[in-house]
Amino acid sequence: MRSLILKDLILNKKFLLWTGLLYFIYVAVFGSRIDNPRITTVFITFLCFIMPVMVFTREEKLKGTVLVCSLPATRKQIILARYVLGWLLMLGSFVLATIGILAVPGSKLGPEDLLNARIIMFALGLMALYFAILMPLLIRFGMVGFLVFLISLQVLGFITLALVSQSALKLNIRSSIAAVKNAFIFLSSNLGTPAYYALLIVVMVALNLASFACSVSIFKRKDF
Amino acid sequence: MENAIQIKGLRKEYKGFTLRDVSFSMPQGYIMGLVGPNGAGKTTIIKLIMNLVRRNAGEITVFGKDNLKDEAEVKSRIGFVHETPSFYDDAPLKDIKAAVANFYKKWDERLFLALIDEFGLPLDKKFKKLSHGMKMKFSIALALSHDADLLILDEPTSGLDPVFRRELLERLSALMQDERKSILFSTHITSDLERTADYITFIHDGEIVFSLPKDDIKETWGIVKGSRTLLEDQYRKLFKGARETSVGVEALTSDIQEARRTFDSDVIIERASIEEIMVLMDKGEHYA
Repeated sequence: MRSLILKDLILNKKFLLWTGLLYFIYVAVFGSRIDNPRITTVFITFLCFIMPVMVFTREEKLKGTVLVCSLPATRKQIILARYVLGWLLMLGSFVLATIGILAVPGSKLGPEDLLNARIIMFALGLMALYFAILMPLLIRFGMVGFLVFLISLQVLGFITLALVSQSALKLNIRSSIAAVKNAFIFLSSNLGTPAYYALLIVVMVALNLASFACSVSIFKRKDF
Repeated sequence: MENAIQIKGLRKEYKGFTLRDVSFSMPQGYIMGLVGPNGAGKTTIIKLIMNLVRRNAGEITVFGKDNLKDEAEVKSRIGFVHETPSFYDDAPLKDIKAAVANFYKKWDERLFLALIDEFGLPLDKKFKKLSHGMKMKFSIALALSHDADLLILDEPTSGLDPVFRRELLERLSALMQDERKSILFSTHITSDLERTADYITFIHDGEIVFSLPKDDIKETWGIVKGSRTLLEDQYRKLFKGARETSVGVEALTSDIQEARRTFDSDVIIERASIEEIMVLMDKGEHYA
């Protein structure tokens, strides 16, 4: 697995350096203009999760997949390396983006807003969710899978907005959102903070393990 | 001696093409040429050995190990050259080398640099800037630099100039000084096979026609040239294929001795070259 991760880092080093730098500046400047830590977190986690997506779709675009699959590694190892590298890139980008947002002069958020356990867990949860859903799509459909994911998100947003404008459904959606929020509050208050966070981490890991198993199964079926 | 490759009952179905019940073995220490017309299934067999495509049935062992169960171990002993070499197009050769070398315990940097020098490859140049021939040379350099026990080369001489093609074939023959090494290469340049191969596996329309030592083919396969009476039913069982020419009929037999016993001096019987076998199997009328 080490060789597979090194392979991606070596072959994408310039891309990671230059695109990563520009991306970092972009995320830091725009993130610093938002004064709500939760919205900032949604914004930066989404952008951080795009970083590994860009690296993985480059392999397809630059016709490197046949090379990778002919190297001494099993398809399961190839996917495992992608999940590990994906998480490393997401977490690295998140740390850099957070530092960048806080370092931009006149940032509307301070360290106390972003560097607390609740926001960090929220960020990890979002990244785990995005990553777990997207990776099988990306492995099955490549860049098209990513676009399907983005379009699905937008369609979901439109549907939600349309439903919200219907007064009859307004209450239901609000109550549904409130119910989810209440469930988290209930768990948090009943379990106590450490157990609650441990549970969230277990759920995130389980979600990613299920996604990994699904991705391996898809990748093993692919012909090159 | 252990077989370098053993394939039993291999099947792969595509829309419009099926590789059917492919079985053959390649002893360790020899060069085998996989030959057949375009679209016969040569590349599919190679991709199946490399697990680049999924098989529908059958089994493949490389040095006695299953190519799926022991995939990483099997591939670590293989040097592979794809018919259209594709790496990260945007990366310079030195980066591709650095990425690939990490995978092989036996990577020989000195040998790699010597090959790069000999092939005249610029390590700072991006892969996409190379010609097809240069890409093939780079791919060959990578495949030769990790002391692979088995080289699998898919159309390695295509796109190469005749001088380098000859050099490459000589290099491959020289590798065989080491009796542990084996080479499987596909081609439709039959002169390459005549020059280097010990065994020839001929594939046509997704089926193996024969897989034999080259000398056995020379001994047993022949072309019978004569009048149209050769196409009569009583003789057909002797032939694998036939075609009509402006002066009569050319028929392909896999039993030249039997053909000599059957026909008198009215026909001419010659040994068949690989190219003639390929042409008559591909373009001629087929018999059993």
